[in-house]
Amino acid sequence: MTDKSGRLPFVSIIEIERFAIHDGPGIRTVVFFQGCPLHCPWCSNPESQKRGTRLMHLEKRCVTCKQCINSCPNGLISFRDDKLVFKREACTACKTCARACPREAIRFSGEKAEIPYIMEIIKRDKEYYANSGGGVTFSGGEAFMQHRALTELLTRCKEEGIHTAVETSGQTRLENITEAYPLIDLLLYDIKHANKDVLHKVTGASLDTILANLDYAAGRDPNKIIIRIPVIPGFNFYTEEIASVFELARQRQIKEVHLLPFHTLGKDKYGQLGLSYTFPHNKMLTKEDLFPLQQMGESMGLHIPLNPFRSP
Amino acid sequence: MPKFNVEGIQNVEVSKKFPCEKPPARQLEIMEQYTAMHQSCLDKPKELREIACLGVLYPTLFRNIAPGDLIAGRIDFLPIGFGSVTSEGGVGHYCVFKKLRTFQQQLDDAHKKRVDALYDYWLDHDLKTQFGKDVLTDDTTGMFIDCEFPMIATARLSGMMLDYPKLLSKGIDGLREEIGERSGKDTGNDFYKAALGCLDLFVACASYLQVNAREQMPHSSSKRQQELERIDKGLEKIKAGKPETFHEAMQLIWLYALLSGVINYGRLDDYLGPFLAGDLQAGRLTDEEAYRYVYSLWTMIENRRTTVNGRIVVGGKGRKHPQEADVFLHYAMKVAKNARYTEPQFTLRFDRDTSEEIWDAAFDALGAGATYPTLYNDEVNIPAVAYGMRIDEKAAEQYVPFGCTEFVIQGQSTGTPNICINLLKLLTIYMNRGIDPADGKYKADGVNIKPLGEYQTFEDFYSGYKALLDHYLDLSVRAQYYSYELMNKYVGFLFTSLLTDDCIARGKTLLNGGVRYLGGTNETYGNINTSDSLWSIRDLVFNRRKYTLKQLHEAMLANFSGYEIIRKDCLACDKYGNDLDTADDMANDLYEYVAKGVRERGIAIGMQYFLIVISNNQLNTEWGNHTAASPDGRLSGMYMNPANNPQGGANKSGPTALLNSLRKFNARYHAGSVQNIKFSPAMFNENRPVIKSLFKTYFNRGGCHLMVTVVDKGTLEDAVQHPEKYPDLIVRVSGFSAVFVDLSPNIQEELLSRVLYD
Repeated sequence: MTDKSGRLPFVSIIEIERFAIHDGPGIRTVVFFQGCPLHCPWCSNPESQKRGTRLMHLEKRCVTCKQCINSCPNGLISFRDDKLVFKREACTACKTCARACPREAIRFSGEKAEIPYIMEIIKRDKEYYANSGGGVTFSGGEAFMQHRALTELLTRCKEEGIHTAVETSGQTRLENITEAYPLIDLLLYDIKHANKDVLHKVTGASLDTILANLDYAAGRDPNKIIIRIPVIPGFNFYTEEIASVFELARQRQIKEVHLLPFHTLGKDKYGQLGLSYTFPHNKMLTKEDLFPLQQMGESMGLHIPLNPFRSP
Repeated sequence: MPKFNVEGIQNVEVSKKFPCEKPPARQLEIMEQYTAMHQSCLDKPKELREIACLGVLYPTLFRNIAPGDLIAGRIDFLPIGFGSVTSEGGVGHYCVFKKLRTFQQQLDDAHKKRVDALYDYWLDHDLKTQFGKDVLTDDTTGMFIDCEFPMIATARLSGMMLDYPKLLSKGIDGLREEIGERSGKDTGNDFYKAALGCLDLFVACASYLQVNAREQMPHSSSKRQQELERIDKGLEKIKAGKPETFHEAMQLIWLYALLSGVINYGRLDDYLGPFLAGDLQAGRLTDEEAYRYVYSLWTMIENRRTTVNGRIVVGGKGRKHPQEADVFLHYAMKVAKNARYTEPQFTLRFDRDTSEEIWDAAFDALGAGATYPTLYNDEVNIPAVAYGMRIDEKAAEQYVPFGCTEFVIQGQSTGTPNICINLLKLLTIYMNRGIDPADGKYKADGVNIKPLGEYQTFEDFYSGYKALLDHYLDLSVRAQYYSYELMNKYVGFLFTSLLTDDCIARGKTLLNGGVRYLGGTNETYGNINTSDSLWSIRDLVFNRRKYTLKQLHEAMLANFSGYEIIRKDCLACDKYGNDLDTADDMANDLYEYVAKGVRERGIAIGMQYFLIVISNNQLNTEWGNHTAASPDGRLSGMYMNPANNPQGGANKSGPTALLNSLRKFNARYHAGSVQNIKFSPAMFNENRPVIKSLFKTYFNRGGCHLMVTVVDKGTLEDAVQHPEKYPDLIVRVSGFSAVFVDLSPNIQEELLSRVLYD
């Protein structure tokens, strides 16, 4: 798939993680796309929300030696109130400051990668996928935000005989789903809430769109779908809310649901990006917290593994 | 003569030896007797001198049978004596001068003088000192382990693995008969005479231990009495006849190994398995007793404290009794899992047919943190050994790793690594026109080196480095070969010769033309730092033209102080271990150049093989501490990369990428290359199917070897702070396992730097 000038699209990505074992079965390579139509306040990868190369300042490492200030060719870094201040909106991501920093306290996140480059990395672990029942997972961000590139990557993976999984919020146009669907072996489909008003208010997502897309996929093969629910205190960490999502799965003959316990491991990244973390909850959930929900789901006839994709 | 220190530390001794059982006065007497015997035999043939001297040491130096031992045999070593390797006494007729001085300090003045006399005598007769006088120089070649030199050399006979099947099938009398037949036709043969003396000595030692066992009986519990009776009877049996039980077979091998000074044991599953299975089947041993026997063997090996040796190899192709061998294998797996010893270095050879049951047993032991078994892939290693050593695949099936990983053919070859070369030090010397930036001394030995400004292309620069390498490879093969000539001049290694093909048949001791395959190994260090450095130079100087060679060199000489950005650029260059063709191809190119260069030189000088090993003990750290800053961004004095693994922390792309890099070296050019990988317990134990497929895929794709540490990073960090809490926390250093808290801080730091997959 090429654009009008015959070029392949670039893909905005955060990173390519090899030997990933949590986002699908077996040994996998996960390509994290950048850009997401939602804005979940608990998001643990805030650098994946908007496309572009972004400066991340790791204050914990910074010794305020000010070498970055002197290095910036555009004078966009200053020192005020004992703190470094970055004019991020004007940053060209030339990365000179990162090179100058002796403590590796400045990083840049987000890059544009060419499809052959991504494929080259994916292909290097082909035999590991084959022997472990693994493959590739396209995640994000929201992979369907770059549906042309996604479809191209999926096509190439299938040509290589590689198992494909896509992790999606389902927030995309149906035609994107239908186009990619035949190329996908496993859909990891996030459903965060069954109440469309709450969902929309908190995350900006449209439940109608998400369910229409899910209907399409489930109508073809519900066994290709695993529903994933991020379990978030104050949002959906209530028996009835989770039960409603379970019900959505059951109605569509989807058998497996994963509960992803809320964590705050991505919290520091907000500060690093110059953003503020506004989500009020701080206490991470544990597996034990999920036991009652798991039991409920199992009693509804669903399979709810608490260590998904891992051996017991 | 170069000014080398005869009291220098000769080998890595992480595990502390037991003090000698005999009082100092007695020890001094023995050393004096030994010295007198040696002196009186100076004019005799080496074989007769050797057996006469051995007769002074044994059985006198046997310790009392220890309370838990199920077979008999522990020996002490004195600063003067006879041996094969530095970790058990010394080499040939030896004096370890440093230990002799330490010993001297506990004596009163009158006795001190007696020690001085011994010291002076051995200055002229200690084999390693003689080697040092002949081979060591002031600038190129240092003694083991003097880290100021780019190359170190020694004389020793490491890694012998004896033909135990022959011993077990013939027994002592069978060997006697064979020698008798041969010597009948060759009556003047000193080797045969001395060999028969060895067997007599063996019998005398067995009798000595029988007396000891009987002496202990009256003071022992009834259970212990039974064990001692079994020891007594077993010793009686093996003095003459062939062993019939597991106990007798173990006792025979053990006592023989002790007397020969051999500290690696080889394929015990195949040799002992039939005896073990037979005893179990006949009801002579219960399951629990069998376990205790194997455990006892493990304890006695651990107690020899040879640090980097003690290899027991199980599994793999070419076993004569695979079914019975697997019985031993499974007991060994359980013991390795439970015993938590650093030795024996328990080694699993496997192939495509190795059962899931064996794999699971291996994963159980590794997952428990045993660091054992280390894993060797027969599918790769057998054809590689066949090519590398120039033998057929059938013979290659009997390859066994010893020490840190070096291969020999059990009962048929020598493979002692008597040379180590620091490739990275040579690169820093080369870039500094022959002067080692670490100490300002000239070490290029006359090799012509151009100023850095004159290199127009990378190839030009690289071939200049290769010229210096070539010179050192020449020195290395000569020193290795000379170590054999010198050892052969003075010693026969009688016990070892007796059980090595084809010494008896040829009537010649090991190094006198007796051994079937005269092989040797050359340990190369800093391999990956060097190739990463070469890649940095290629990338920054010649491809991108970001810096000139001179600028880079200036930064290195300043240890990058004031040149931090250059260092960051160096560090940011592609690094080996990330499955990147750039850095990996550079590593492979250097590897092949060095490995082939060493191999060809070995063949040319008349050896069966001389191959590099990319193993390491802790020398990567100690040598790194004396090596200047390098273009890969490594600072002066910093540890170097372990074996052929990446520099700690340089592999950032996950385990599949690491393993893809590791598999790239063609195994046929080396005689062992150590690959480390480290997991947290949660990752390793909760994802067994995934980790198993990770390993198997790596092995299918040409991976030759893997050693696995399963440990939490937090645990290691805590152990640095609170060593008292972790007396049995075992880690894989590379070529050996060690109790983490016994390691020095610089080694601990290197271990902590390595990437852990969590």
